[in-house]
Amino acid sequence: MAPSSLSHRQTHNLLLISKLLSLRDTASPLTLLLDSLEQPATPLIKEYIRRARLSKVHVTLIAFEALKPYDGVDAFVPARRKAPTEIMREVAAAYKPDSSNSPNRRRLILIDSINPLLHSTRLDRSFHLSSFLSSFIVPSGPTTSKPDTSLVVTFHQDVPGRPAQSPYTPSPLSLLTYLATTVIKLHSFSHILAQKAARDRSLVPPVFGLEEEQDGVLLGRLDKPVGKGTEAGGVVLEMEYRRKSGRGVLEWYLLPPASKYPATQLKEIVTLLDDHPLYRPPEDLGDANGDEEPESTFELRLTERQRRDREGVVLPYFDAQQGNGPGEGGRILYDMGEEDDFDEEEDEI
Amino acid sequence: MPSQPPLPHLLTPYISTPPRESLTAVSSVVGATGNWLILRFLYAALTDAGLRGVEGERKRKVVLGLDLARLTERREFAFVDGLSELFCGPTASAPSRAPSQHLASGPTPRTTLPTRPHPGITSLRQPPPPSAGSDGPPQITKDAGQVKRLRLSGNGAAALDALERDITAVIKQLKASGLGEDEESEVSLIVDQPDLLLAATGPSKGIGATEMAEWIIGLQQAATATVATISADSPLIHNASASAHHIATPLETEHAAFAIGLAHRAEMVMQLRNLETGAARDVSGVLRVSKGGAWGQRDSAGQETWEEKEVLYFVQRDGSVSVFGRGE
Repeated sequence: MAPSSLSHRQTHNLLLISKLLSLRDTASPLTLLLDSLEQPATPLIKEYIRRARLSKVHVTLIAFEALKPYDGVDAFVPARRKAPTEIMREVAAAYKPDSSNSPNRRRLILIDSINPLLHSTRLDRSFHLSSFLSSFIVPSGPTTSKPDTSLVVTFHQDVPGRPAQSPYTPSPLSLLTYLATTVIKLHSFSHILAQKAARDRSLVPPVFGLEEEQDGVLLGRLDKPVGKGTEAGGVVLEMEYRRKSGRGVLEWYLLPPASKYPATQLKEIVTLLDDHPLYRPPEDLGDANGDEEPESTFELRLTERQRRDREGVVLPYFDAQQGNGPGEGGRILYDMGEEDDFDEEEDEI
Repeated sequence: MPSQPPLPHLLTPYISTPPRESLTAVSSVVGATGNWLILRFLYAALTDAGLRGVEGERKRKVVLGLDLARLTERREFAFVDGLSELFCGPTASAPSRAPSQHLASGPTPRTTLPTRPHPGITSLRQPPPPSAGSDGPPQITKDAGQVKRLRLSGNGAAALDALERDITAVIKQLKASGLGEDEESEVSLIVDQPDLLLAATGPSKGIGATEMAEWIIGLQQAATATVATISADSPLIHNASASAHHIATPLETEHAAFAIGLAHRAEMVMQLRNLETGAARDVSGVLRVSKGGAWGQRDSAGQETWEEKEVLYFVQRDGSVSVFGRGE
């Protein structure tokens, strides 16, 4: 890739992820996080909360799984044994826009896992996932001071769903990916590195955890399975952002471990995966800058002077066309250079 | 072979101090069962006050597991039998709500496999549990020998709620009968194979993976720390996955959703499995300790740090267990 387009991509996509994670301009009303046991969404959710606190966004956590709120959550709504309408009511009651002071305080609503809700036997036919989710984002009443709300929903990909009641209903995952304005799939950085190393050698990339389909293995993750160094920590985000025009932006990012930066850091900490030295070692970049000539022990290139001399040579057929009579044309005309050593004897032979 | 310590050193950091409000999932397969590990959890919990000075006078107690008569008398341990009468149908009418009610009179059900054949029971009894159980109120001591038996009645969440009430009643009794101080004692809860209940009922009875998970959440709220064991045999986990080429049965779907969901909610997942290379004379299986989906959710301050690890274990004929790394 040409350096200019790479740097353009860097700038543009880093700005994009920064905007998405910091919830600026309500860039993505519904973000879907696809996680698995191999890479849970916890680090990313904590990053969302960290940024929300920095920019004074009100954070609500709808907990289908967590017993206790995460650090920094403003309102905690346990969803155990609650009907969807009840959850909606509690979430709406959890935040009253303060009309006098700051009417446009933004709001972040996190759902720690949507799977239990989708898997529940209590859901009746009147429940629609799309209307449930949109009730958090779209103002229900005529109130004008509804804050800008971003909804972040986590879905565990490895938890099997119940077969649909009707063969024509889409699976919840298809529905969620259809509704979402941003889909972020999480991978473990060490797994990505192991898979890349295998692909670079044209080997089948390894799989981990449940995908191994080994008896008794739920989790394959060990602290340092590959790349013994401590550098391999972090979460790889495979992001798909859908623009309003319908065009999608695809990019891979790396979120470093939370211990690598202070909680109050404002500077962007997410980087492009391609920029990480472990994923794309620097020597690869050096190759792209060099000349296209193949390397050899012989000097195959010409110096400037050699090229000029070569261009100055008049080839025999040009001389033959001048028509000085038969036998005259086609002579080999050679101008002695200073480095030529004229040998009388040899010439006479 | 030299006699093994009741608590293998390699395991100590993983089972002796379960963090507060945490869930630990123990998964096992038919060829590598988790009985011995559960016994080690019990042992670690019941000898806890002697081992750790940090907690001071507070004591951990354990509900469920083995019938440890003496500990039961001292009100440091309670066993809830979830299998014997689980499906005997309802007998009494009013579910036991008051914690002071007699243990044996409660009508409702609860789940867990019953006492298992005990490889490690002798080692559990060896060290006398720490003192101070004797000053419990006499009227409670009276019931001490009784074992609570759970009975399932009704359908769906209501049936599970009844089970939950029975178990929390037992937990509350244990908490209250502590040291006679203002402070309640800590109670560790071990839920042994709750998947039995799921398999025996299923979504047609209104009990699915979500309901079971919510039931576990309810129990977690009552106890200080919770350990739940679950089967992770291939057919129960992988038949329901998207890569399987046939339609999964409801049992497979619900079990997989429950087991994987439990691992998502757990801070620590201990997985037992067979040796990949086949049976061996001096190795019973492999134990892998991994960070579960909930690891790192709580505030980092005060969180115990432990490393993920994979070790081999060997259950000897006398029930003692040795744990060692590969090649050691």
